[in-house]
Amino acid sequence: MACEFNLNFLKQQEREAVLEVLYRDQMVRETEEKRIRKLKLQLQQLRWKGRSCARCQKLLGLLMNRGAVCNGCSHRVCSECRVCLNPCLWKCTVCYAHGDVKVKAGEWFFEERAKKYPGEVIMEILKQQIFCDFSLLASISHLQELGQSKSFNKSMENLFLSLTTHIKKISKSQNDMADRCLLSTDHGQNLERRKQRRSQSDTAINITSRVSVIITQSLAVRGSLYSLNSTCTESGNFGKANVMGEIEFAMRYIFKACILEICIKRCKNLAYGEEKKCNPYVKVYLLPDKSPRSKRKTTVKKRTVDPEFDETLKYKIEYSQLGSRQLQISVWHAGALKYRVFLGEVVIPLAAWDFQEDSMQLFSWYQLKPKVILRRKDQGVPSCQLQVVITGAKNLPVLRAAGMPNPFVIGCLILPDQPEVKQKSPVWKKEACPQWNHLFVFDGVTPAQLQQSCLHLTVWDQSTSSSSDQFLGGTTLVLGSVLTYVLVRKLALKAEKVLRSPLLTE
Amino acid sequence: MASATDSRYGQKESSDQNFDYMFKILIIGNSSVGKTSFLFRYADDSFTPAFVSTVGIDFKVKTIYRNDKRIKLQIWDTAGQERYRTITTAYYRGAMGFILMYDITNEESFNAVQDWSTQIKTYSWDNAQVLLVGNKCDMEDERVVSSEKGRQLAEHLGFEFFEASAKDNINVKQTFERLVDIICEKMSESLDTADPAVTGAKQGPQLTDQQAPPHQDCAC
Repeated sequence: MACEFNLNFLKQQEREAVLEVLYRDQMVRETEEKRIRKLKLQLQQLRWKGRSCARCQKLLGLLMNRGAVCNGCSHRVCSECRVCLNPCLWKCTVCYAHGDVKVKAGEWFFEERAKKYPGEVIMEILKQQIFCDFSLLASISHLQELGQSKSFNKSMENLFLSLTTHIKKISKSQNDMADRCLLSTDHGQNLERRKQRRSQSDTAINITSRVSVIITQSLAVRGSLYSLNSTCTESGNFGKANVMGEIEFAMRYIFKACILEICIKRCKNLAYGEEKKCNPYVKVYLLPDKSPRSKRKTTVKKRTVDPEFDETLKYKIEYSQLGSRQLQISVWHAGALKYRVFLGEVVIPLAAWDFQEDSMQLFSWYQLKPKVILRRKDQGVPSCQLQVVITGAKNLPVLRAAGMPNPFVIGCLILPDQPEVKQKSPVWKKEACPQWNHLFVFDGVTPAQLQQSCLHLTVWDQSTSSSSDQFLGGTTLVLGSVLTYVLVRKLALKAEKVLRSPLLTE
Repeated sequence: MASATDSRYGQKESSDQNFDYMFKILIIGNSSVGKTSFLFRYADDSFTPAFVSTVGIDFKVKTIYRNDKRIKLQIWDTAGQERYRTITTAYYRGAMGFILMYDITNEESFNAVQDWSTQIKTYSWDNAQVLLVGNKCDMEDERVVSSEKGRQLAEHLGFEFFEASAKDNINVKQTFERLVDIICEKMSESLDTADPAVTGAKQGPQLTDQQAPPHQDCAC
């Protein structure tokens, strides 16, 4: 049924309308997920409180306050930790909260429904794809308005927005109508088809960058999730997955040794990776690091959907770093010939995890979830780079009595959790309107990183004497917003303005 | 994109997490029976006589207070036209409850009810709650489907039945509230088997206490 979800037959306007609705739906879903996560966290915290009273840990007396066994969890609890539902029925606080979460999170419905539709996941994946289309559509219409539309040879619906970023040069500016910098985005069918586009802009700092979003024709929705190697499994290249089942693990941090230990106990009710076949193993990453350094794997268990692992995976990591990390625990089926099938994952933001609390070290079951694929890497391109062409600048202020400045540009790419990367253009001597046509290349920038990065471009006047270089002006491009919103943005930067506020943020 | 869209669609309503349950409801039925008007009347208390065909799907979010619980409703309005069927049916499985609507002044829309009901059976989960609603009951002069006929069909299909008017605001709120109630009942039931404590004992009585008797006829 999912495959029928095809918007081909709709007119562009209709598609936009539908995609807009889907987008709103996505917002609603995200809110809902947040709420449910909160509910579950509360439940978990309650659960961690231990099971020896089993709730308040109070010692139970031999005669007085002996406690009684809860119907739900078969633990002995004291009278204060019971919620009376009616005179002859009570539950312990945890069991009560558990049911409450189930109602509030709507799980009762999903459980019932799962009986009829085990493969619900596919819808979600499709929707993600459609979202990508949505951003593309939005940009197309925008570009068309500007009379700069590019031809899209393929119908958008079948295209996946995959690895995204490559900033390419464009701009040969010839007129001087206005002082502004136009940062526009554009899309190419693929890398080879990138074309240059002329920008009509003209600027104080005349930089036009183009973000080419690479689109690859998807191989449609396939029967399962493939993983030819880790890069591939991380790229989120998958189609239909019956994500189900749960995983039990515990996690603790050994402060003395600075070691994070994740003990993978077992899984249950896993989906079959292939027909009636399942050789599961667990793979762990400490996100955002997706490099092999961050990868840990368990052994592969053969022919079971309820594997027992009992393996401990360790990371040597500073405690202070944990807050920025997410633990991604995914379960995979190892088929023949490196054929991999994604069976589900759990992602835990470690910031919210209290490692000092002993109860947090207990084993717990987690529901496996489908992968969220909003941005994906292109499988064909192992490393990505950001290219920015600095065309030229105009009407730079003359600061020195001596005359024309000797301008050059510094491009500073700021990525999250990484040292900034600086590049410098050549210097043009005595030129108020330099035409550098210089290419900055920032290597190894993933689209995900780009989402959170920004690029400072500053123009400097190289001093002729020993004194330090003079700042002439600059601008900041928030690359994340460029990619996310895929909108054409204009920067109005007048030379005087630049001077007054050295770093203008768009 | 995000910021622009959020403000346009009232971020407050959709991002508010302060509620207990979230129910998804789908309104289906032939083209031009008044699904969109019905939804607009309920969610915005507005009515426009002009007919604008819905493109594919749309939804509105409304949070209500019922049985001491804040319930967030995501109400999906679907296009009645056949050409959007692949899109609309994709949403059936996400819905906990359905409002199946026909137009009392349009025989054809009434005759199609059986088909719609089959669609629900095919695409939705097994316990989907359905209300049959005969809309436009303000247009008594043009009525071609009697209340009795509607009620009989509803009974035959095992749905509850309302006649309503989005234009004159008759039975609109009642329809939604009744649907919410029966979804709540279903929820309690489903938890009863697994977890009798939570809703079975606590909520069941409350629900039955406040249950509105099903409106069989409209006021006009």
